[in-house]
Parts: sequence; C-alpha cells; structure tokens
Amino acid sequence: MHLPWKHIWLTLAAFALIWLALVAVGAYPPEAFREMIIRSVGKPAAWRETLFQMTPLLATGLAVFVALRAGLFNIGAEGQLMVGSLASVAVALAIPSAFGMILAIVAGIVAGALWALPAGLIKAYRGGHEVISTIMLNSIGMALAGWLLAGPMRNKLQESTTTAAIDEAAYIPHVVDQMPFRMNLSLIIVTLITVGFAYWLKRSVKGYELSLVGKNPIAAKFSGAALKKVTVWSMTASGALAGLGGALMVLGDEHRVYMGFSGGYGFDGLGVAMLAGGSPIAVVPSAFLFAVISQGSDSLAQIQIPKGLNGVLLGLIIIVFAAYRAKKETHHD
Amino acid sequence: MTNDMMQVLMSTVVLSGPLILAALGGLFSERSGVINIALEGKMLGAACTAVFIGAQTGSPLLSLIGALGAAVIIGLIHAVLTQVYNVDHIISGMGLNASILGATTLFAKTLPQLQTDEAAAIFPSSFFWTMAFVLAGAAALYIARTRGGLHLLAVGNDPDKSRQMGLNPVKIRFKSLAVAGLLCGLSGALIASTSGNFVPNMTDGRGYIALAALILGGWRAIPALLACLLFGFFHALELMLQGQPILGVDLPPELWQSLPYAAALIALALFAGHNKAPAGLGRP
Repeated sequence: MHLPWKHIWLTLAAFALIWLALVAVGAYPPEAFREMIIRSVGKPAAWRETLFQMTPLLATGLAVFVALRAGLFNIGAEGQLMVGSLASVAVALAIPSAFGMILAIVAGIVAGALWALPAGLIKAYRGGHEVISTIMLNSIGMALAGWLLAGPMRNKLQESTTTAAIDEAAYIPHVVDQMPFRMNLSLIIVTLITVGFAYWLKRSVKGYELSLVGKNPIAAKFSGAALKKVTVWSMTASGALAGLGGALMVLGDEHRVYMGFSGGYGFDGLGVAMLAGGSPIAVVPSAFLFAVISQGSDSLAQIQIPKGLNGVLLGLIIIVFAAYRAKKETHHD
Repeated sequence: MTNDMMQVLMSTVVLSGPLILAALGGLFSERSGVINIALEGKMLGAACTAVFIGAQTGSPLLSLIGALGAAVIIGLIHAVLTQVYNVDHIISGMGLNASILGATTLFAKTLPQLQTDEAAAIFPSSFFWTMAFVLAGAAALYIARTRGGLHLLAVGNDPDKSRQMGLNPVKIRFKSLAVAGLLCGLSGALIASTSGNFVPNMTDGRGYIALAALILGGWRAIPALLACLLFGFFHALELMLQGQPILGVDLPPELWQSLPYAAALIALALFAGHNKAPAGLGRP
C-alpha cells in the first residue's frame, strides 16, 4: 500500500508545533494533554460544561455548513450569534414566561438572519465577496453589542457590563438535572435540526438545488436554479442558525448577555463545518470534538497554561483536515 | 477648524500606513492567484516578533529583520499549504489566523519580553509609513512595467494557459507569497512601533480592512492605496469626533468605531461589482 507521506509529514509538523507552543509556555505536553481530557470528559461536571459548549458550536457549525453547501463562506457567525443573543435576551427580559422563551428563540433566529442578509444581497446582486462583508458585519455587530451592553441594556446594579438575568420562567427546561451533571433541551433541539437538515438536503428538490449551486454555479444556472435567490436565502438561513445558537446559549445556559459573550464560537463554527467534510450528520461529532478541545484548553488555565492554546489547536486541526479533504477531492477527479 | 483639518489629514496618513502595506501584500498574493485572508495573521505574527526581538536585543534593525522573517515564514507556510497540499485558500488563511492569534496570545502572557512597560526598540512609525507610499508606487510600476509583473498577472489570470506558455505558477506564487510576507511584516512592525508594546490581537482586524481596500481598488496598487487612505480617514475622523456632541446630541463612541467598517460595507455594495477579480483567483 502506498502511504500518503506528504500528509503524514503535515500532521507531524502540526503536532510538533503544538508541542513547541506548550513547551514555550513552560508546560509539559503529555501532562497538558492528559489534563485536557480529564477536564473535558473525565468527570460528570466536566461533561456538563463540554455539552454546554457543544450547543453553540453545533449551531454555528451547521450555520457555516449550510452556507458552504451553496459555496459561500460565512465568517460572520460570530456577529450573527451575538446579535441573536441580544435580541433573545431583550425579549426574554420583557416577557418572563415559557411563551416568552419561544418568542425569544424566534427573535434570536430573526436577528441572526437579518445580520447575514446584507452579505447575501451584496454577494448575489453586487458581486462583493461575502468573506469581507461578513467580517465587516462582525465588527459592526460587536460595536452594536458594546453600545447596548454599556448603555441601554446594561444592568446598572452590576459592575461588569452585562444585561440583567432573565427570569427562571423563561429558561429552557433541563432534560437531566442531577448535579454535578445537568443538560438542557437546547442541545437536543440543535441536533434534531441538524438531522432534519441532512434529510432535507438529501430528499428535497431545494436541497439538491443548494448543493448544485455550491458545486457548480454555472451548471446550476443552466439547469434553471435561481442562483441569486439561493445565494441570498442560504446566507440568511446560515445567519438564522447562528442567531439560534445565541438564543439557546442565553435561554439554556448563560441567562444573560455580557461583553465577550460569543467567545469565538462563530469562528470555531468554520472549523466544525470543515471537519465535518461533506456530510451534514458529521457536524454533530465534529462539534463534540471542538467542544472537548475548547473545554479542555479553557480549563488548562487552572494549571497555569494561559488562554490561547485552543486557537492554536483548532487552527492547525482545520488546516490538516482541509489538506486531507483536498487530497480526497483531487483523487476523485 | 483648519487646525482640526490638518490634524485629521495627518492622522489619516499615519493610520492608513499599516493598511497600505498589508493591501500591497494582498495585491502580490491575489494577483498571482492566492486569496489572502491570512494578511491579518501575518501582520500579528510580525508585530509580536518585532516587539519580542526589539525588547530582547535593543536593536531596531534586528527587530525589523525578525518581523520580516516571521511574516515571510508564515507566507511560505501559506504557499506550501495552498500550492503543495491544495488546501482551500480561505480555509488555510482562517486556520493560520486562528493559530497565530492563539499562539501570540499565549506568548503575550508567558514571555517576559512581551510584558515590559518599556517600549521595545523598533524603528519610528514615520519610517514605515514613508515606506508604505514609496512601495505603493514601486509595486504599481513593477506590476505594469516589468516582465516579472506581467508573469504575475498571467499566472493569476489563467494558470493553465500560463503553464502552457512555459511559466511555473507554483514557483511564481511562492515568490509572491514571500513578497506578501515582507509587506505584511512591515505592516505588523509599523503597528508594533506606535506603542512599542505587544497586546493580544493588536492588529484588530486591520488585515481584513486592507483586503477590503484591495478589492475596492480593483486589485490595482494606486486605487487600493486610495481606498486605504479613505479607511484611514474614517478612522482619523472617529478619533477626532469621539466624545464630541454632534448638533447637541451625544453620540456613543461605538457608532464612530463602526464607521470604517460600515464605510467598507457600503463601498463593497456600491462599487465591488464594477471591479474584476483576477480570473484565476483560488484556482490550482
């Protein structure tokens, strides 16, 4: 058998870089890896935190995946998630009930969709690249969040810039609640949406059209797919999913929105979608892996390894997997 | 008022310096066919190295060499990924950005050289922004008037045909990404030179703004320079107008902060369609 040496070298180089980064900050790598595993999946409390993190990662991962299917890079999931969470917390604060919770989820979805819409329109009708427009929308979204959290939506009773906490009546209910482990319904909601999307993509004409536009826009145009429409609505749907992720974070877990709330989940969504490759169902295990790495490296702060490691890890994983994927694609040609 | 105007104009020149250098880096890379989302990461890596070496050795020359070296190495890694491994250009760029942001954040909290309050030894900012204007002219001449420049355009426009004409697209792209690295290195060193200290994520998305300027400039050096000046102007305006009431209304500082980004977005919506991207952008 012919071994893919080129790709084995790349994997080893990535691993060596991670090793070097750990040594440079004064950690013993095997110890750090062991701690990461224990602190992400080693204890019931660790599982609780990991699954909390998995919810937004799955939502933004699916968001990026949907856009990617239409050949679009949605780098804006971060801003869409933030705007979605702000809309959601505003509604949940105004209507503190189970009905308010439902409305708050809708508000998150709508806000996220609206924040992605300009990128879809600019791409479809003006030819402006979506990567640039979504990055600009991120910065504007973050400035908007900064203003709302420092001013109109700020809880004046608290020193840090945060909104007030929502009423317990608007929480998303727990499915398991045996502390130290607990889990709320939100992860199940996003998982079901992922499965539903996978089925839709495979079985419906619209789903086929979406994949066709992504794979070969010219062929799609000649076979009658409305190229511009697909571009606009797939970008909007992508924003809606990221906004949903923000809403679920607010209602299920955080119960408030504060500065830095989105915590890079939007950017990680790109990695989640990449790692999943071509299969929508694979977004679920991919989000889980990212949650493990994210939770693991977050908790390394407790053994004096500062934040930043997960950026290195996730960035390198994205690159290595994209290289393997590129190899598979060239073999098919 | 004229004093204010002068001040805004001066800070426009200063603030657009890093954008111009990075946009020129993007120009070389994208004209050869490599989409360069990684400008941001290259600038950040260079800024971190400039401060580290400047603080360690006290020599601005070594600091500059270090910054250029770091950005060129990242550029060559980018070239290996996109040209040897055929990794998607946007994905490899985002991956590099995430890794570099993570690594420099990690270093900022652990390396003592990055934590001193004293400013590291780096050449003054004026040196870098003067370079920015000189190099913009040089890049425009190089691309339009020299054989190397024409090869660059040919490879970016139609890699297959240029291969048939005897050019080696992969080799030219390696060179272009090395040049892009040098330019991003200057840009990062300029950003580091303004304070002499390193702060995590101190490039603050300016690599992306530079890329937007490049696109608005239609992948041409002088129009891209003008677009960078425009973004620099909005940034300068932001600094001047912040905290000043307009027509008696106190506007929040976040409104001014989002001004350059909103300007980029609107410009993209209004003008992007008229500009033609290099036809071979992103192709193997």
